[in-house]
Amino acid sequence: MFGFRPLPPGGRSRKRATRALFIMHGSEGTPEGRSLLLLRKWLSPSQREQFGRKGYFEVVGSGSGNRYRIHAGASVNVCEIDERGCLQEGLCFMPIGALPIGDVMLAQKIALETCEDKARAVARRFTPNGFHFRQARPLG
Amino acid sequence: MAIQIVMDGTGDSRHHFNSHDAQEIAKAEQRFYELTKVGFTAAVRTGPGQVCQIRSFDPNAEETVFFPRLVGG
Repeated sequence: MFGFRPLPPGGRSRKRATRALFIMHGSEGTPEGRSLLLLRKWLSPSQREQFGRKGYFEVVGSGSGNRYRIHAGASVNVCEIDERGCLQEGLCFMPIGALPIGDVMLAQKIALETCEDKARAVARRFTPNGFHFRQARPLG
Repeated sequence: MAIQIVMDGTGDSRHHFNSHDAQEIAKAEQRFYELTKVGFTAAVRTGPGQVCQIRSFDPNAEETVFFPRLVGG
């Protein structure tokens, strides 16, 4: 009656690919889009895949070797995780100024991977919970 | 062409320079030290997903990213 039809085989993946293309090309003109393109370029293939699939990516601290999860966001978005992937301490730090999300996340990645101590020294601590890291929309 | 990418509110400002042109290298070097002097951190990619902070200007770096000083939120 309403004309709903099941998607043909491969239809779902075509739909996803079209959406990804739209996001990639449509976003270049916006600060947020440009920053996300730059971030994706600087991520490792596994981080990129993780970011696209889960909305976050993981980095390894340069000094301690501890793992951190960087969620999509510009603040209250970094969390140390243990070897089982459980959330430990949350760290809130970002570059000064009103930067778009992708730039903030890239700066956080570089800081943790190259000068972890400096990043930890300025970071405000918080106790993470699911609410902090809800993914509102896919950015990867 | 090499590029210096400075993070700012517009996403980023991009400054291309020819790494075989002495005048353009001098300009890029000046920009590097002006930015790091006011607290920007400079980083380059050393491999896929691998990053490294640099404290002195590298004219051979293909892509250098600068981000402002970190603060707690």
